[in-house]
Amino acid sequence: MKADYLNPIYQATTNVLKSMLNLNVEKGQLAVREAFVSTKKANINIGVTGELEGTILFSFSEEMALAMVEEMAGMEMKELDKFVTSAIGELANIISGNAMANFSENNYDCDIVPPQIIIGASKTISTATDQVLYVPLHTSMGDFDLNISIREN
Amino acid sequence: MLWKDSYKLGVEAVDRQHEELFKRLHKFLQVVRGDADKATRQEEIEKTLTFMGEYVVTHFDSEEAIQKKYNYPKRKEHHQIHEEFKTEVGEFAEEFSKNPNDDDLLQEFSGRLLTWLISHVTGEDQKLADYITKGDDK
Repeated sequence: MKADYLNPIYQATTNVLKSMLNLNVEKGQLAVREAFVSTKKANINIGVTGELEGTILFSFSEEMALAMVEEMAGMEMKELDKFVTSAIGELANIISGNAMANFSENNYDCDIVPPQIIIGASKTISTATDQVLYVPLHTSMGDFDLNISIREN
Repeated sequence: MLWKDSYKLGVEAVDRQHEELFKRLHKFLQVVRGDADKATRQEEIEKTLTFMGEYVVTHFDSEEAIQKKYNYPKRKEHHQIHEEFKTEVGEFAEEFSKNPNDDDLLQEFSGRLLTWLISHVTGEDQKLADYITKGDDK
């Protein structure tokens, strides 16, 4: 998998979190992994179709998912219920939509399929590639990571 | 409170409507997330949904009039996004009137609505404001 698939997705992630939640994102040490496994509790799986094909998995800690939705709603959120997971699912959907716009500027025409919510760490997800780019990210609301498995179609 | 001054775009007429829209969204979420008895809840939700649905149309129309006045180059795309949103809210209202006890459906819609509105105001609407106030059409 090409590492340059990361930047359009990473840029979209930092831009959306900055404009919507005034959050700054710090990137940790990238790693290439063989399996697509969720590392945290609140996961959103976004399928990519078109000239690029594959999956982006956003893996949020429970703490971060709740903090983001509390900040947006101005209300206390106690657990990863339907409301919370739907709100962060839409967030991942918006980030991915922006990432696809960035890809189209690089002449890759692709689209996304609606988000799929997966609750729980250590869940294995099937992938289009045998390598997954793992990108740990840190914010003042908690930690999350991007897992990217994309190939040219 | 749901509204934040940081959502202000610097275009007064739009900001005022956004603040009003977010106030109504806040009221809607308080009912959705609250523990009133079923009948009160359903009545309140249907009322707020109709109210908000109407307000969204007024607001979108007035935003689109401003875009026309300034000859905003992304008018067509922005209009398309507004139309898709109205369709989605309309579809939910219809679905909910058929299944008023489906709490999952309600929670799922409300979570999406919250994120969508904040993203639209801080994203697409910000681009419009940048165009009006700075002539930036990126």
